[in-house]
Amino acid sequence: MAEHAAVIGIGQTKYDAKRIDVSQFGLIREAATRALEDAELGWKDIDAVVIGKAPDMFEGTMMPELFLAEALGCVGKPMLRVHTAGSVGGSTAIVAASLVQAGIHQRVLTVSYEKQSESNAMWALSIKMPFAPTMVAGAGGFFAPLIRGYIQRSGAPDDTGIRVALKDRLNALKNPYAHLKLPDVDFDMIANSPMLWDPIRYLETCPSSDGACAMVIGDEKQARRAAKPAAWIHATNMKTEPTMFAGRDQVMPRAGLECSAELYKKAGISDPRSEIDCAEIYVPFSWFEAMWMENLHFAPLNEGWKMTYEGATALGGDLPVNMSGGVLSSNAIGASGMIRFAEAAMQVRGQAGEHQVDGARRSLGHAYGGGSQYFSMWIVGDQPLA
Amino acid sequence: MLAAKHAYPRRWPESTKRGTGPDKILPPPVADSSLLSQQGVVIMAEFPISFTLEYPYTRTLGPVIGPFLTALRDGRILGIRCGDRVLCPPMEFDPDTGETLRPDLVEVGPSGTVENWTWVAEPSRKHPFQEPFAFAQVKLDGADTTMTHAVKAVGQAAMSTGMRVRAQFREERTGSIGDVYFVPEDDARDQSIAPGEGEVEISTHLISLTYDDTLYPHAARYAQGLLDGKFIGQRISGDKIAIPGKGYDALARVMLTEADDVELATTGTVLSYTVLTPVKYRGQTETEPYLSATIILDGAGQSLTQQDIRNIPLDEFRVGMRLRAIFKPAAERRVDDVDNDWMYPSIGDVVERWEPTGEPDVALDELPESM
Amino acid sequence: MRDVAVVSYAQTPFVRSERARNEVEMLMPVIDEVVEKSGIERRKIGFTCSGSTDYLAGQSFSFVMAVDAVGAWPPICESHVEMDGAWALYEAWVKIQCGEVDSALVFSFGRSSMGETAETMTLQTDPYTLAPLGPDAISMAALQARAGLDRGLWSEREMAEVAVRSRRDALRNPEAQLKGEFDVDEILAEPYLVSPLRKHDCPPVSDGAAAAVIAAADVARQACEKPVWIRGIEHRLDSHQPGSRDLTLSPSTKAAGEAAGASSGRLDIAELHAPFSHQEIILKQALGLSDSVKINPSGGALAANPILTAGLARIGEASRQIVAGNGRRALAHATSGPCLQQNLVCILEGD
Repeated sequence: MAEHAAVIGIGQTKYDAKRIDVSQFGLIREAATRALEDAELGWKDIDAVVIGKAPDMFEGTMMPELFLAEALGCVGKPMLRVHTAGSVGGSTAIVAASLVQAGIHQRVLTVSYEKQSESNAMWALSIKMPFAPTMVAGAGGFFAPLIRGYIQRSGAPDDTGIRVALKDRLNALKNPYAHLKLPDVDFDMIANSPMLWDPIRYLETCPSSDGACAMVIGDEKQARRAAKPAAWIHATNMKTEPTMFAGRDQVMPRAGLECSAELYKKAGISDPRSEIDCAEIYVPFSWFEAMWMENLHFAPLNEGWKMTYEGATALGGDLPVNMSGGVLSSNAIGASGMIRFAEAAMQVRGQAGEHQVDGARRSLGHAYGGGSQYFSMWIVGDQPLA
Repeated sequence: MLAAKHAYPRRWPESTKRGTGPDKILPPPVADSSLLSQQGVVIMAEFPISFTLEYPYTRTLGPVIGPFLTALRDGRILGIRCGDRVLCPPMEFDPDTGETLRPDLVEVGPSGTVENWTWVAEPSRKHPFQEPFAFAQVKLDGADTTMTHAVKAVGQAAMSTGMRVRAQFREERTGSIGDVYFVPEDDARDQSIAPGEGEVEISTHLISLTYDDTLYPHAARYAQGLLDGKFIGQRISGDKIAIPGKGYDALARVMLTEADDVELATTGTVLSYTVLTPVKYRGQTETEPYLSATIILDGAGQSLTQQDIRNIPLDEFRVGMRLRAIFKPAAERRVDDVDNDWMYPSIGDVVERWEPTGEPDVALDELPESM
Repeated sequence: MRDVAVVSYAQTPFVRSERARNEVEMLMPVIDEVVEKSGIERRKIGFTCSGSTDYLAGQSFSFVMAVDAVGAWPPICESHVEMDGAWALYEAWVKIQCGEVDSALVFSFGRSSMGETAETMTLQTDPYTLAPLGPDAISMAALQARAGLDRGLWSEREMAEVAVRSRRDALRNPEAQLKGEFDVDEILAEPYLVSPLRKHDCPPVSDGAAAAVIAAADVARQACEKPVWIRGIEHRLDSHQPGSRDLTLSPSTKAAGEAAGASSGRLDIAELHAPFSHQEIILKQALGLSDSVKINPSGGALAANPILTAGLARIGEASRQIVAGNGRRALAHATSGPCLQQNLVCILEGD
């Protein structure tokens, strides 16, 4: 029943610790105008806008999509605002796609952003309420014990995380939009960086970035008419499980396992490792690459680390992962999920420049959030799904 | 003892009704009065607690708002050309078409006409004036759109649509929209404004909001347990014990009552840990690296996360290690950190330290995967 | 387009303060009730979507707790909008239109009683040129009311009449909060709160949660005796800057109403989300509602205004009226943002 939908335009800002040169208006418009230009469309061509971002307390603006109405050319148009924790950028793209798949709109602009420098993410995540435990450790303090749990179970070598970080940081050097670029990065630099939340070293964590990402999603007619290749959306999926309950496995969350299994089924994929050409996934701390390789059924349980170790996830490997440099290199929280989805689309459009995977025809975009409990994913291809 | 944020419990309206669903999911009965905390007795559910969200947000301004606020600091008001019109406050783009505007800024005002107004008889602490004032839409001379701003007038009778007003600048200006305000033209005085230095690139907005919540019965019982030197969990489906209980079972989706409370052991096993090297951010008080452990109490189905360990050397600490909670002396136990919180179990400031029990470690493959 | 119906609706009684129930405890009975009434087995509901805002709870990621109320184990397909639940219903309706699912659970919740609601809402305004001045929700609405008074589009008496009628109608709504018989002359004698608004022109501070189940035709017919069909659902946005728009008009409501098919058949009932008395007059005009349309039989937002739930409640109340046989065709409207900035119109019909 669903109509075809495809990514026909992509725009990103330069990601940086503090984009002092732009307002929130300027930040989102930088991404949105680039997406429109890429799609060779103007503001008036857009039927509806879907905005995503993480907690409003990061910027101290409540439902900021309202004051951004004019900036996104939304006046007189439908506008939706999505918020599903860290997975929001992905979920936002999925909602935008569904507006086209449902046959409601022909051209939808979707934008996600975070201007983290307006406050401080550590503050916003550590808001101290009376009678509430402060997350003094920030997100790293929450996730570090999970990583240790993974190492315990899998017997992964201690330097797996360093290897992931090195790969992602080298990839970032090829991405003009990436925030954190370390031209001299090598194994030792990462290994010798301070241990923040053991076993997570400083250079195995993500930065805090300002940035926005936008896409134009069009219907089949738009996609065929477009001058540039389209990234056809083969399947999308979202899954959620509760945060904390007795018996929950947060290292290998069931929501992620089921989300990806269903996604592959919808996309007609039976062996993801061989049928998917590359994957851009949400890895805020290096070790999560290994964990998600298992959660995404690319590797058997407790063997995800081997893919990193054997170089399978490197740019020249059999399943390149995080070609853009990943969340480790740019992390504008609300946009981070959409950046993953956009990178997946760029790859099958042959648009990824120096970090292009040769012959990428089918790719995965993945995002997660909350206490490893919200998942959103999509599969895009260079041809529509038959 | 519970720290009271209010000297007296706030009065709540009479007869708050509850939902109309089936009996099993009605909340448990609530104590009908605000009990007091005395000598380590937890205040019950009706005790109001309050918290304030406060942060000085730093807004980067970009190529249009930046010059606009710079000019305000320097005693001038700017609009932006948009086709045949001049927009004030200026925008970076055409509000009708979304097209980016060239930053062609022109001075407008300082006088203008009130096109619309309202009288705020009882200002809040967030308002530009603490005495009665007007919010008004002012169309500055030379502009085609109105700016919504504050007008200081002697009283409501002094306000009318179509009246003339003039900008006045504050003594202390920070490069913020609040640097200016308006007065009826006849009340205006001439000001000589010394321009500030450099461009305003960031405007600071202090946001402060206060919220009230109440401590719920299950949380109060849990807190009372802590004060008594006990860990109280709640039995949920699958014969598991949640700690702290949430007052409901998220899986079976039923409300829990006092009858579901279970006292857990004070001993447990290290499931995982991290060593934290503190990074600086607003509110951060830690300076030295420390251990933070995930500990599962014996019999519990859910671990206690982020337990600070400061008495066991780093190189002796390990997963599988057996620990016992040593409570502080009764008089020193505080439960400020216990709440209705749905996400992260906390044990408040009642445990002095976790001591190794001396028992053999639990084998890694016997550890529960619940973490 | 697939035919989609509201098959059930439930809500908490809207109250000044829930006191001892948190959001999850408010939601659990509502969700149980709405699922039971829907006749669809919980695990067969294909999609869940909620609406809420972190600024009501004063906590980042506050919507995550609501997952506990839904029962997300095994994991569920779920989404959340930082918008009124009416837009969550829209997202769910889109999901059904995609053909991916046949039914969806929609809910929203919030406790305005926890915070300084009117001032919290200032954070919805432009953070550079408005929010630092503290233009609270009542002051913004007051500007809008004055604009219409100045132009003779409505009078303070007409505003008072809206308030009196709303609270009188609310007497028949057991779940409404602010209800009673008031006298127009008496309330007009009261002082202004923020002129030209008096206390009675403003909504109460309300806590509440609401939920609906919607389903595609085949499922709806099988599960439910009286499905209420969604004949059209559309939403639009107006300019944010008060200086960029005519506050006395609501072009976005007009456009959404036209697109949803408001005028393509006789309407019996309209549930309008008008938190301030004069806004009902603006909406009525924008939608071209004739005097024969019964407006806000529930009492509307002047009788209870749980932030981000009041819009979904309009859809729920309108569908209840149709189920009760009080009309065959109804319009439900939801709004968001200062001065009716964003608006959604949903046209509902009984069989």
